[in-house]
Amino acid sequence: MASVGSGGGGGAGAGGLKTYFKTPEGRHKLQYEKTHSPAVVHYNHSGKTVSQMTLAYLKEKPAGQGSTPSTPSAGSGMRSAAARLLGTGNGSRALSFGSNGTSRAVSGSSRMGGGVGVPTSASGSQGMANYDGKGTYIIFNTADTLFISDLNSHDKDPIKSIHFSSSNPLCHAFDPEAKDGHDLLVGVFSGDVYSMSLRQQLQDPGKKPVSYQHFINKDKDKDKDPSQGGAASRHGFIWLRCTCVAWVPGHEGFFVVSHADGNLYVYDKSKDGNTDWTFPTIKDQSQLLVSHAKSSKANPIARWHICQGAINAISFSPDGAYLATVGRDGYLRVFDYAKEQLIFGGKSYYGALLCCSWSTDGKYLLSGGEDDLVQVWSMDDRKIVAWGEGHNSWVSAVSFDPYWSPPNSDETEENVMYRFGSVGQDTQLLLWDLALDEIAVPLRHPSGVSPTFSSGSPSAHWDNACPPTGVLQPSPRMRDVPKLSPLVAHRVHVDPLSGLEFTSESILTICREGLIKIWARPSHSENQQPDSSEQVVGSASAKDKILTSSNKAGASSSSFKQPSSVLFT
Amino acid sequence: MMAKPARSPTAETSPPAAAEKHRSASGSGSGLRSLASAASGWWDRWGVMGSGLSKLERAFGDQFPEGERYFGLENFGNTCYCNSVLQALYYCTPFREQLLEYYGKNRNVEDAEENLLTCLADLFSQISASKKKTGVIAPKRFIQMVRKLNEYFRGYMHQDAHEFLNFLLNEIVDILEKESSAKDSPETTSPEKVSNGAADNGVRKEAPITWVHKNFQGTLTNETRCLMCETITAKDEPFFDLSVDIEQNSSLTSCLKNFFSTETLNADDKFFCDKCCSLQEAEKRMKIKEVPQILVIHLKRFKYIEQLNRHKKLSYRVVYPLELKLSNNSDDADCEYSLFAVVVHLGSGPNQGHYVAKIKSHDHWLSFDDDNVEMIPESTLQTFYGSSREYSGNTDHGYILFYERISGKHGHEKTVSPDGGVQP
Repeated sequence: MASVGSGGGGGAGAGGLKTYFKTPEGRHKLQYEKTHSPAVVHYNHSGKTVSQMTLAYLKEKPAGQGSTPSTPSAGSGMRSAAARLLGTGNGSRALSFGSNGTSRAVSGSSRMGGGVGVPTSASGSQGMANYDGKGTYIIFNTADTLFISDLNSHDKDPIKSIHFSSSNPLCHAFDPEAKDGHDLLVGVFSGDVYSMSLRQQLQDPGKKPVSYQHFINKDKDKDKDPSQGGAASRHGFIWLRCTCVAWVPGHEGFFVVSHADGNLYVYDKSKDGNTDWTFPTIKDQSQLLVSHAKSSKANPIARWHICQGAINAISFSPDGAYLATVGRDGYLRVFDYAKEQLIFGGKSYYGALLCCSWSTDGKYLLSGGEDDLVQVWSMDDRKIVAWGEGHNSWVSAVSFDPYWSPPNSDETEENVMYRFGSVGQDTQLLLWDLALDEIAVPLRHPSGVSPTFSSGSPSAHWDNACPPTGVLQPSPRMRDVPKLSPLVAHRVHVDPLSGLEFTSESILTICREGLIKIWARPSHSENQQPDSSEQVVGSASAKDKILTSSNKAGASSSSFKQPSSVLFT
Repeated sequence: MMAKPARSPTAETSPPAAAEKHRSASGSGSGLRSLASAASGWWDRWGVMGSGLSKLERAFGDQFPEGERYFGLENFGNTCYCNSVLQALYYCTPFREQLLEYYGKNRNVEDAEENLLTCLADLFSQISASKKKTGVIAPKRFIQMVRKLNEYFRGYMHQDAHEFLNFLLNEIVDILEKESSAKDSPETTSPEKVSNGAADNGVRKEAPITWVHKNFQGTLTNETRCLMCETITAKDEPFFDLSVDIEQNSSLTSCLKNFFSTETLNADDKFFCDKCCSLQEAEKRMKIKEVPQILVIHLKRFKYIEQLNRHKKLSYRVVYPLELKLSNNSDDADCEYSLFAVVVHLGSGPNQGHYVAKIKSHDHWLSFDDDNVEMIPESTLQTFYGSSREYSGNTDHGYILFYERISGKHGHEKTVSPDGGVQP
């Protein structure tokens, strides 16, 4: 039981980290890294904030718009309320973000240089990018700052940093379709939310957010978690902390914010009324309670009390019809968003669930959590269909790869396959294949007995009937859930990971401290030469162990066939 | 025969001011204690004078748990290892209740000699019977008894909280077993001392008898399969806690998985197979045979480094969930546990530092730092996971984790089938 030293002595430096990993498609190479200035790292070691990342595809600026996107006309009420609260003057610019106001100019064209397909619509030779063109940006938070990096630039430093001096930014969301220019949402520790225009932030040379709309969560003074002894105020609003923000797909201007107290609030950007409203007291913390604001002008317009303890993450189905939440209580819940109704839910094996994500077709959901497992849920079956085993610590982000297509896509059979990824606090990136025609019912037995493929016959432990609407299912037993093994397990960072994104050209990973790595997908030429002599993952023996066991599982005790092209060495 | 009268009022509640004085007196050993806690001590005193309620009582407000008491324990010079474990045991409700029940039954027994158990029972009953809801108590006689009994804890050095927990539980078991064998017929086989995980004293001939066993004891089966003759040698090993090796950036789940994983015995570490009558290569693994009611997990953060010829503290980041299931591959043994106490070691090395306990009581988390008790949010527990880099400045690490069983009560008496529980 000698410690199988995955990074043994604390992993001084990036020791033992490989700069590539292989999948059936070929070699993924570490292309470049992005991070904030090292000064922030020290600051962040308080451990209070975890860096999250959001990808923003900024479209070409629509013609006929002035250099400043129209500020929402209605914004003033909200802002002045904010100003009162913070004891500063009026108007959004008067809010003091970043005390000294030094304008570290977004220094010149060099930062934009090397951008792949970023037509910066050279408006003169002043060397100042005007960000009118389209571009892909990475938005990430660390400590009290929100950073923006140009994905296509090789520059490690962000092109823009925005200080939030009153409360740390914790989560963000971007809507490329936002009509009035406010496409970026930022949720902060105090429970408040800001909306703003990404382009406008990029264009402004200052270090504070500009022309934003501030949504104050007034409920924080009223609604204390009784189970915590009204501890909210004593612990500095820790229960109100924003955990996730999301635009509602297909509902222009609507967004939702989840909080650490188990509440989710719905906002309508166009509403700015500040009338007095109260949401009813939550009597039973464990019961779902949806309440609407009395005034039609007020924000937030609704509160959903979802669970006891924090909502850790939320995710809308691509069509916006369903909202999934995961939380401290270990449950995944799927709601019909329009009907405000629970469709189904289910529990982790144990511990909190920390992340969730939909497949692009909206048929499957992934979640991950403190049981070190990745759960795959089926919308059709309203239940869990598989557990992914392979992480050595908590799973912090999961995502389907929307750009991946099965190798034999020419065949038109119904072999639906998905590729998904997960990252965890074990510093690993895992990639998985999900082949749905192969999911069989209770299958893997730990003794190594060959699995019983009984897809057609419902078993006592595995009821094939779709559960009725609104039912939360308890934790399944370990042996009742089919298991998946990862295709690839790669230790990608020194620090625990917090986020994962797929783009058409790369896979992005971010660690809790705010270092982003961009892993370029294999080009087609590289794909031609499978090099079986190379190890798939890093040198640490722990990884080898994982691969060995997954290989074994794939061969004998799992019903999931590993694609033949997988390289296990 | 230091009997009854002495037991009741000893060191009732020392006023906060006295505690404060003591704090500065014992200051040398507690360099790590933060200024913040000293400041909050002052705040406490102010609070008592101001409103008649302690800061903690005000923190609870009208939610102060009925009949519950929250007392800090005075430090007698590096006795934080002891205080943190005592607090964890106090809020281990079944243990406390059974101890107090025992105390109720036994305190009037004539000729009762003072021992570690009576001292502990005394201390616990002083706290639970206190008129005040919060305060500070001096576990003086208990500490004296510990020092009398065990040379190891006699000095004023920093000690290991896990070793103390082991010592305490085993000592209590010894006392209880002696008492019961004295009461019962003398033919009772001499009780064996149960020690930590890898007990060397083989199979117990009797079922666990004391309430300490009922709370803390689980049984491991140590299975060794000779790779030559395929014979499986199984040996049951009772345990009070599991000591698990830790890895950087791993979870408790993963550490437990490693604990229960199969190990190959070869080279210098071959296994003597009784059937082959020779040293053979073998596969060894641990299985859970019986799960404990209270699962105590000791993270082996103090590792002996041969090159340095001393122990080193591993600051690895090991995340521990608030809920846990024990599965040991025997998949129908999904016994669910809930975290209720964490003994935290503060400091960079094994021979220095400080211990505090973070404890859940009536759904509230509290921090017990010697004489200081305060309410903390649940999320504070995240700050004791450890660090993903060796030198990070954060030296507060979860060291002993206490989980209580919350489910599978129906299958409570049903033990996990020894073969791993697979019934295809």
